[in-house]
Amino acid sequence: MSVDTEADAAASGQGVKPARIAISGAGKRYGDLQVFQDINLEFNEREIVTVVGPSGCGKTTLLRCIDGLMPVSDGEVRIEGDLMTQPREGVAMVFQHFGLFPWKTVTQNVGYGLKLAGVSRAEIDEKVPYFVKLVGLEGFESVYPYQLSGGMQQRCGLARALAMEPSVLLMDEPFAAVDAQTREILQFELLRIWEMRPMTMVFVTHSIEEAVLMGDRVVVLKGRPSSVFETIDVDLPAPRDRSTLAHPRFAELREHVWATLMDEVRAAEFDVR
Amino acid sequence: MNSLWDSRPIRFSTYAAGLLIGAVLWEYFGGKVNPSYGAPLSATAKRFIFLVSNGQLQDAVLGSLQLYFVGFISAVLAASLFGLLMSRLNYLRVGFENYIMLLYATPMIAMVPFIKSVLEIGFAAKFTVVFLFGFFPVLYNTLEGARSVKPEMVEVAKSFRSGEFALWRDLLIPHTVPFILTGIRQGAGRALVGVVAAEFLISSSGLGGLIQDQQGKYSMSGVFASITVLTAMGLLLMWIGRVLENRMAAWRGLNR
Ligand SMILES: Nc1ncnc2c1ncn2[C@@H]1O[C@H](COP(=O)(O)OP(=O)(O)OP(=O)(O)O)[C@@H](O)[C@H]1O
Ligand SMILES: [Mg+2]
Repeated sequence: MSVDTEADAAASGQGVKPARIAISGAGKRYGDLQVFQDINLEFNEREIVTVVGPSGCGKTTLLRCIDGLMPVSDGEVRIEGDLMTQPREGVAMVFQHFGLFPWKTVTQNVGYGLKLAGVSRAEIDEKVPYFVKLVGLEGFESVYPYQLSGGMQQRCGLARALAMEPSVLLMDEPFAAVDAQTREILQFELLRIWEMRPMTMVFVTHSIEEAVLMGDRVVVLKGRPSSVFETIDVDLPAPRDRSTLAHPRFAELREHVWATLMDEVRAAEFDVR
Repeated sequence: MNSLWDSRPIRFSTYAAGLLIGAVLWEYFGGKVNPSYGAPLSATAKRFIFLVSNGQLQDAVLGSLQLYFVGFISAVLAASLFGLLMSRLNYLRVGFENYIMLLYATPMIAMVPFIKSVLEIGFAAKFTVVFLFGFFPVLYNTLEGARSVKPEMVEVAKSFRSGEFALWRDLLIPHTVPFILTGIRQGAGRALVGVVAAEFLISSSGLGGLIQDQQGKYSMSGVFASITVLTAMGLLLMWIGRVLENRMAAWRGLNR
């Protein structure tokens, strides 16, 4: 199947690999509430795409649809050619609320997905310490989530997703609940981990800075119901690190995204009153 | 102020003094009242030894314990399984919810004559009484717990491609167990009431039967000896309940 598509692409002279995630004409309704509509997006292999948009515009909903946790109401979502109707192997999600099991230790939480995937005990015992170490949680293996800080809990959630060695990593505002300093540390650590093993990453965030810093592209969702207002290519040098924050282009892009969002944010504020 | 009670010997001796005063009062007033209303501690202890020496008390305790455990363990298993199932199957939940509220609110003792007339006076009838006394508190708390599983956590499980069995194992059961234990603690006492009620009202046996028997012989000391044993059983059950709850509390960060 994928061989065919590649052959087609080669035959048509494009010579590019097909997108790993293809969203076309996607819309989602909860009852009468149309959350988003007519979304067309493609995410490539080895690409970090960040998604920004005002609160309630349907970012989490979009990730749920990509993960196959719920079906789209219109259009379709395909990953590697397969229609997403239920969660799929090779796709892992990091949740805004961490989603750790309070009765499982760090080790057990990180091994959760592997155990469900039927990986052998021995292999789990071998893999889990690697990912625990990767996210900097060594020494906390047998600790329960309540004994961890917010940042450490999110590291644990990240390790659990990474342990699946996914080709698609979906991140729902993963660092929103941690303090600014921890957030910065986690951002650069995530980039470092991604560099070691690049994959398709869809990264939802509230923070414009974070979107520009992390993304190869920034997708701006806007409107009610929302749709893609703009996709901005982030032409910042790789690898991204602290010096990126001081780059003049970074400031430009940040201002650009901010201006794009501002009208919407203002409108949303009036909506609330 | 606090430091006084931090000292173990002081706490212990105050505790012992409380018990001693109670015993002295029992002995004093028990000896003064008409023997058909009461008995002093010494007479109760003597009677206790007598009932042990002729084997009556052990038989009664064994009979009651057997009824208790068979009835209550069945109730716990049935109630927790049914409660968990109800939380996963909407039609079960919607269909039964009202009845459960009704039965939880009904004083089960009112059902005993009905059970007796349907099931006659054998073990089945007594078993049913104990079962019903213990069943609803456990069911009610199980439902409460299973219902409070966060949808976000179910989503996490689904995202990691959990099947139904794994969902029960990793999420539903661990989340609900503390609630089930609360139900067990509530139900444990009620089931003991159920045992005595069944032994009084269905047919005389066990400790309930012994109380009736001793009363028939106008031996208040025998009645008190039996009640004391029931009290001890109640205390033991409460203690077991608390130990179980504490063991489960590790991941919740509760130090009780
Ligand atoms: N399960 C649901 N049933 C009905 N409506 C829902 C459901 N989940 C979300 N919504 C609604 O859909 C809209 C989009 O929600 P969603 O959580 O996707 O927004 P979001 O962009 O992730 O917001 P935030 O930035 O605050 O996380 C909101 O108006 C929300 O109230
Ligand atoms: Mg969200």
